Amino acid sequence: MNSTTQPAVVPSADATPDATPDEAPLRVAVLSFAHVHAASYVRLLRDRPDVELITADPDAATSPADEVRGRPFAEQLGAPYVDTYAEAFAWGPDVVIVCSENARHRDVVLAAAEAGAHVLCEKPLATRVDDAEAMIAACDAAGVQLMTAYPVRFSPEFATLRGLVDAGALGTVLGGTGTNNGKVPAGRAWFTDPELAGGGALADHVVHVADLLDALLGEDAVAVRAVTNRVLHGDDPRVRAETGGLVSITYAGGAEVTVDCSWSVPDGAPTWGGLTLQVVGTGGTVEIDPFGARVDGLVAGGTQQAWLGFGANLDALMLEHFLDCVRTGATPGPDGRTGLRTLRVVAAAQESVATGGAVVRLAS
Amino acid sequence: MSARPATPARSAPPAPSALKVGLVGAGGIAKAHAPAWRALGVDLVVHSHDGAADLAAAHGARVAGSLEELLDVVDVVDVVTPTSTHLDVATAALAAGRHVLCEKPIARTGAEGAALLDAARAADRQLYPGHVVRFFPEYALMRAAVRAGDVGTPAVLRFARGGMFPTWSPWFADDGQSGGVVMDLMIHDLDIARWVAGEVTAVHATRRDVEDGGLPHTLAHVVLTHAGGAITHVRGLWGAPHTTFRTSFHVAGDDGVLRFDSAGAGGVRTDLPPVPAGGQDRPAPAAGESPYLTEIREFATAFAASPGALTPDHPRHPRVSAVDGVVAVEIAEAALASIASGAPVALDTAARVRELGGAPLDADAADLATTGSRA
Repeated sequence: MNSTTQPAVVPSADATPDATPDEAPLRVAVLSFAHVHAASYVRLLRDRPDVELITADPDAATSPADEVRGRPFAEQLGAPYVDTYAEAFAWGPDVVIVCSENARHRDVVLAAAEAGAHVLCEKPLATRVDDAEAMIAACDAAGVQLMTAYPVRFSPEFATLRGLVDAGALGTVLGGTGTNNGKVPAGRAWFTDPELAGGGALADHVVHVADLLDALLGEDAVAVRAVTNRVLHGDDPRVRAETGGLVSITYAGGAEVTVDCSWSVPDGAPTWGGLTLQVVGTGGTVEIDPFGARVDGLVAGGTQQAWLGFGANLDALMLEHFLDCVRTGATPGPDGRTGLRTLRVVAAAQESVATGGAVVRLAS
Repeated sequence: MSARPATPARSAPPAPSALKVGLVGAGGIAKAHAPAWRALGVDLVVHSHDGAADLAAAHGARVAGSLEELLDVVDVVDVVTPTSTHLDVATAALAAGRHVLCEKPIARTGAEGAALLDAARAADRQLYPGHVVRFFPEYALMRAAVRAGDVGTPAVLRFARGGMFPTWSPWFADDGQSGGVVMDLMIHDLDIARWVAGEVTAVHATRRDVEDGGLPHTLAHVVLTHAGGAITHVRGLWGAPHTTFRTSFHVAGDDGVLRFDSAGAGGVRTDLPPVPAGGQDRPAPAAGESPYLTEIREFATAFAASPGALTPDHPRHPRVSAVDGVVAVEIAEAALASIASGAPVALDTAARVRELGGAPLDADAADLATTGSRA
């Protein structure tokens, strides 16, 4: 990955002289262990000399007994822990990373804004459009940054695609096909609870591709149509939301895109899933598979498929960008408004499903 | 198979090589069919407004000066003319008592397709659509595996197919004649989707056409809802002149996934100019014999089996029927109606199959779908 790749900001050599030797470490609070990414963020942050870390997971009490959360989880990760968000805010964090259940993002982000902390919020930004609007307004009013956690935006493969589009190599973009398929979320039961997650596969997986398209096209979605089903895991009582979905999106400039957001990766697959995006223009076609780089094969006497992924650590690149923006005062992206625009696509898709597959027009 | 005679010494039908076959048309698909017919050892006669002499010379065929002259000397007519002429040519062939293989789409509209079905029944002759993708081993094997329950109940399916815009012949760009990328190209995957995931109850489609540098480009998406609950995305592209022909599928069920991509794997795959050679109009086989030969052999075996029509349960009935061809056209028509209106279109292909006198989708034997070496 070269240093000019956007938007991932890697500290460059010429930035070092600006850093004063006595610059205080950034205080970062990881709030909630609900989202599976929390562990990844904690591992990346705990060993950094330029970061002081604290964690809190007060909603652990509401999670199923077989899920390791709260203080025991922090101990597993070797991270400092406090029992309440109030204690975390009293510690005076510069930055909070919100990993609560999707429906609980709003309250945590509003409290963070009130505490004057910059916010990196897990995706989707919220489960309701008005929640997302309130979160943006609160962060604006408090003068703190709000970033939505879309790590794929930081993949070198996406940078290549974006560079080709920006350079005009694809000509006029006709449209494309995105896939974000994964296993049905396990280990954190709330992902398949439509109340806490804001839906099923639609809420979980449309936003990543929608974010890439948002960056690539720089246009609003103007029409959305979706169909879903529950054939996959249809007999699993814990799964109370759609598991399969196809979303058709029309963008303001006319690009036509379809997204497969299904939880269609079998439980026994050697990797969690992946994301692909194929963009077709008058100049040709480019397709990226940011999670595809791997050594594969057969192991354990041939009874198991091997999948040794070696793509970039997208969480690390995303955190680097966010912390760098906080230090320099730059605006991080994808920001809260990007999170809102992509959430509107999900909301329109859900409305389309609720109306039996009608085409839903988005007000611009 | 109950229809097979109980006696072990079944009366040997004439070998396909004894057939006399008339090829009407000498364009791109004729160039794929002619060597397949010749590989079976048949006598081949070609009639076309243009290019018949060259095609005949290249494949050891004779030239017929008129359609009537061709119909006089053949048993079977292979209609490989532009789509809008399929109805007239195939009707004439059936009326003359000839079996017909008609390139897909079997007709430009569902109504024309239904008229062809009637003509075949009135003449008691066999009529099949050239849905060659059913004969590509990757699709045939996938379908057989799905039928065998290897992925459980199909849930979410994706199919993609695309190549360069077919500018070599002007009728493709004329929606009135060809039906565009949906009717001409994506009908392959619309047929496969129905074959794999079952009858269709709703269709939504979008299409975008952009002219750039004087060259046309078309991208279309079709989303099908199947009666059994599965949903399917079909993407079709007639793209830039350098575009490599590529097909792929991803079939996810509640017990597994099957996938294929003619382009293989890669972190970033580009199909951008410049390229050393030109684009492609149709796929190269991934392995093994030409699927066009597999297709033609299966049809030829059926044609040779009987001077009249074959019942759907006849052991030599091909894996695709004329009703399948008409229903594929009707699904594509629904997609075109959705593109025109911007709204989903309801349809009921199960009812249409019954109305058209076709066999239910699950009536054929699973072994039809395995390889090309049948019969």
